[in-house]
Amino acid sequence: MIDCNAAFERLFDFLDGEVDAEFERRIRDHFDGCKHCFDRADFERRFLAAVQAARAAQGCPRQLRERVLSSLRAEGWQG
Amino acid sequence: MMTDASDTGHPAAASFTASATATDADHAAFSALALSAMDDVYRFARSLTRDAVDAEDVVQDTYLRAFRSWHTFQPGTDVRRWLFTIARNAFLRARERGQREITLDDEGAAAADAAQAQDAWIQGGLDPILDRADLGPAITEALEALPESYRSVVVLVDLEDQPYEAAADVLGIPIGTVRSRLFRGRKLLQERLATYARDAGLIPARPTRSSA
Repeated sequence: MIDCNAAFERLFDFLDGEVDAEFERRIRDHFDGCKHCFDRADFERRFLAAVQAARAAQGCPRQLRERVLSSLRAEGWQG
Repeated sequence: MMTDASDTGHPAAASFTASATATDADHAAFSALALSAMDDVYRFARSLTRDAVDAEDVVQDTYLRAFRSWHTFQPGTDVRRWLFTIARNAFLRARERGQREITLDDEGAAAADAAQAQDAWIQGGLDPILDRADLGPAITEALEALPESYRSVVVLVDLEDQPYEAAADVLGIPIGTVRSRLFRGRKLLQERLATYARDAGLIPARPTRSSA
């Protein structure tokens, strides 16, 4: 069983899928019995999902895409 | 690191520019894999330069270099990781040329520590608005305001889904540094978002904890 400190320290590793199966099982066990850590993990998970959702709004401008394609054609790209 | 075509001994190790050995399949693969990642490369370039015009130059340079050295890309590996590495090298070269000073140390650490101190306020204040669909512009703005060293790690891991190991490799830093910059970068982002939400009237100035 891991304590709150260990769960906090590796919370992002867990949410990012950077822990092994054994640690994942133990941290999930901890969340089952600790509402404070469960709420915190839920908050961080939703925060990361919100950041990920903002990704689409930050795409490459159309005029840059055209500029890149044009310079690639000059290099011999046949697209 | 890109190698010169003549050094690789690869069967297709001729420059695309000469078009001697580049097949239609090579061009099609470049289009399908590399060009479809332009949004990703642009986001990463923005995270490195902050400046939109500089980012565009990095993207253009990245694609020209990627095209010329397409034969060095290993099929089956993550093309975005390959492109991010080229982009970072392009960025570093541009910076050397411009003699720019962009600090790569852990600037903002003090601010991050302060953010930790008000963690409860941030969690309590942000929690009710995290699921709002209109939070996107605020997140974009907060990301752009992050110090570069945090921003590039957050963009690679949180927006581009790169594993810690890939982010470390692309940025040339140890995994432990990826981990600590991610933590601080995310906390800074939360702090800025909470401030934004408060200023926009989305949350009260002194939020009460919604859960006891």
